[in-house]
Amino acid sequence: MPARRADSRAALSRTLDANLCKRCQGNPPDITVRGELLCKECFFRYVSTKVVKRMESFRVRNSQPGAERTLLLPISLGSCSLSLLHCLNSQLVRQNERTGRPGFKLHVLHVSDTESTAHLDKVKALFPDHVYSVIPLSDVSQLHYVTSIFSDQDRPTDLSGLLESLKSATSRTDISQILLRKLIVHFAQSHGCEAILWGDSTTRLAERTLAETAKGRGSSLPWIMTDGRSFQGITFYYPMRDLLTKETLSYLSLLQPPLIDLVVKDEVKPAVSTKNATIDDLMRQYFRGIERDFPSIVANVVRTASKLDSSLLDHAEAHCELCDMPLDGQSPENSRICYGCIRTLP
Amino acid sequence: MAPHVCEICQTARAQILRPKNHARICAPCFISTFEAEVAETIMSTELFQPGEKVAIGASGGKDSTVLASVLKTLNDRHDWKLDLVLLSIDEGITGYRDHSLEAVKRHSAAYDLPLKIVSYQELYGWSMDQVVAQIGKKGNCTYCGVFRRQALDRGAAMLGVGHVVTGHNADDVAETVLMNLLRGDLPRLSRATNILTHTPSAAKATADSCSQEVSFTDVKRSKPLMYAYEKEIVLYAHHKKLDYFSTECIYSPEAFRGSARTLIKNLERIRPESILDVVRSGIDMAKLVPGGDINCQGSCSSNKKQTVAANADNEEEAEGGCGSSNGKESGGEMAQMELKLQQDELAETSGMETEIKLPAKVTQAANKSDLSQNTASTGMSSIPIRTKQTKSLGKPERNVAPPKQKLGQCERCGYLSSQAICKACVLLEGLNKARPRTGIEVGGNPG
Ligand SMILES: [Zn+2]
Ligand SMILES: [Zn+2]
Ligand SMILES: [Zn+2]
Ligand SMILES: [Zn+2]
Repeated sequence: MPARRADSRAALSRTLDANLCKRCQGNPPDITVRGELLCKECFFRYVSTKVVKRMESFRVRNSQPGAERTLLLPISLGSCSLSLLHCLNSQLVRQNERTGRPGFKLHVLHVSDTESTAHLDKVKALFPDHVYSVIPLSDVSQLHYVTSIFSDQDRPTDLSGLLESLKSATSRTDISQILLRKLIVHFAQSHGCEAILWGDSTTRLAERTLAETAKGRGSSLPWIMTDGRSFQGITFYYPMRDLLTKETLSYLSLLQPPLIDLVVKDEVKPAVSTKNATIDDLMRQYFRGIERDFPSIVANVVRTASKLDSSLLDHAEAHCELCDMPLDGQSPENSRICYGCIRTLP
Repeated sequence: MAPHVCEICQTARAQILRPKNHARICAPCFISTFEAEVAETIMSTELFQPGEKVAIGASGGKDSTVLASVLKTLNDRHDWKLDLVLLSIDEGITGYRDHSLEAVKRHSAAYDLPLKIVSYQELYGWSMDQVVAQIGKKGNCTYCGVFRRQALDRGAAMLGVGHVVTGHNADDVAETVLMNLLRGDLPRLSRATNILTHTPSAAKATADSCSQEVSFTDVKRSKPLMYAYEKEIVLYAHHKKLDYFSTECIYSPEAFRGSARTLIKNLERIRPESILDVVRSGIDMAKLVPGGDINCQGSCSSNKKQTVAANADNEEEAEGGCGSSNGKESGGEMAQMELKLQQDELAETSGMETEIKLPAKVTQAANKSDLSQNTASTGMSSIPIRTKQTKSLGKPERNVAPPKQKLGQCERCGYLSSQAICKACVLLEGLNKARPRTGIEVGGNPG
């Protein structure tokens, strides 16, 4: 990025015009990003730079012509995964323009509920160059290695029956999330995908850091936070990990045409004091405030959790049969599931 | 509402909805379960040696009152032969400790435990009233906080006791775990989740076995109530009719702790078990902290029971009373950290070029990640002139200690310190310089 550097040097040498974009000093600013007033173009570049930096291993020169690696991109139709799809689509377009071929292929997966399919059709129409799959979460009932845990506990093995059998909203969300991830991993592995690109933003990862901590799953954090081999075996990437959720929302709004209407809203329930609130709701609401006032603290939480050294658990032989966490002094003797899973399946 | 029968004894009427797991039980079953759980914690962690001298840090508040009562009960019941003593600190603020010290005196009589009250005057040569007379009201909380951190250890050493127990409960530990995730301090997270913290010289001393004298740098610290819910401690005190002095802290907590405290309260509402789950997560995470035992200087790597050095300079676990956490003066703590993190980011993204242009302070701040092992405290040069700055230890831009520094001992008094001279000694030097006093040797080993 020699051009950028020259830009910034030039900008430093003269006094900055506060009425213009801080980076290019050419356009009027459209948005404040981490304390800097930026124009749309510079904001787009900011977002895409952060994503591309995380996709280093998938540059064109690392790919075999005609044998590009397929990456699974699960999209929830939230602002993070939609922004990621847009960024990666643009990256592929640029790669094609520059070198005539892409550095990777995308397989987009949506685990559906009923209301989201209409949105997904619009997404497909906008980004038609990728393979799309839609599966229901209830497909997870077909995975025997998953359902055997529930049947051994005399629980229903069909998804809705299982969720109904759980007492708290937190447990239902927790189990749904675990099953969702398992289903996605299974899909990736059975569809020749080399890695999974998760859409989690910094904010989402910070929410998860505190939520998993509160659920007694603290030792799973280094796997959740870092790019690399997951304990399910497949490689995980988090290309959005340097962006805030609010930045993905701004991104989708400022794009031409805007994509913000495609976002399937996940409502934050207003009262965290009620019995039906979940730990995840609480953390989402908490970080909404922190993100607004202290964005760098959000990033610092994720950085801190990433410093935990997962290799210190590498020697663990057994894994939780539900969430796949290494069982290393984590749970009672002979338990097949970890402390966090025992808590959530009382 | 139909009366429930106690889930444990199946006979008495259930009077208590147990905060920890919402079990409906009767008061006698609650009392015995609570005691059994504390006993289980103590025995499974082999917290005490038979016959060990143990000082109970007693503030007269609910936590330390319950701790004293339970330890006394268990010591008799299980014949642990512990030599228990109540240890109270008198800061020397006229009127401030009167009620709580009265409570501790009643406990001493009620539990038949000897009481030792040590004053700042005895320990440091200065009472807080004298400090205030010397430096004025502003900033005196710094002195109080710094002195308090060492006071229990110094007081214990004066009594020839090598082990101090404090009343930190599960809520305190959970709060500290979340707080240190928020401010990015894994070493402190790790220390907070250890039931027993050790100084390096204490580890050595135990290995060398029994020398009679106890140096205050050799004092072990532990928290036997770290798995007990705050609400259950209150219930226990209520049903045992313990009389305690409510030490409602008159200051609001610093921003990070306040934020973590609110989260813990909300979590407890959603899922009561989550307080212990946070503690559990903290313990598991502590095992994954890279170089986690860096402070142990090898003494604990061989020891399966993980002990971590108590970094005295940074020990910051919400101890009662006036002290290190004056909300009014450090209310902008989160904002300050935000600013510092932004400067770090800026320095990182603009590289060398900026690093040269920026004031030295920011360049140093950019090194902070190298310092993460060494949550260095305030530079001594700034004390006591800028006393206000020294009280919030987490305050990032004050993290200006030279990078390679490791936890060592104060050159003057031998106390654990990440600086050549510990904060207490620095503060005392300032005080003593202004009003030279003779005949008081601080840090002199009184044994
Ligand atoms: Zn611009
Ligand atoms: Zn599990
Ligand atoms: Zn009973
Ligand atoms: Zn000293």
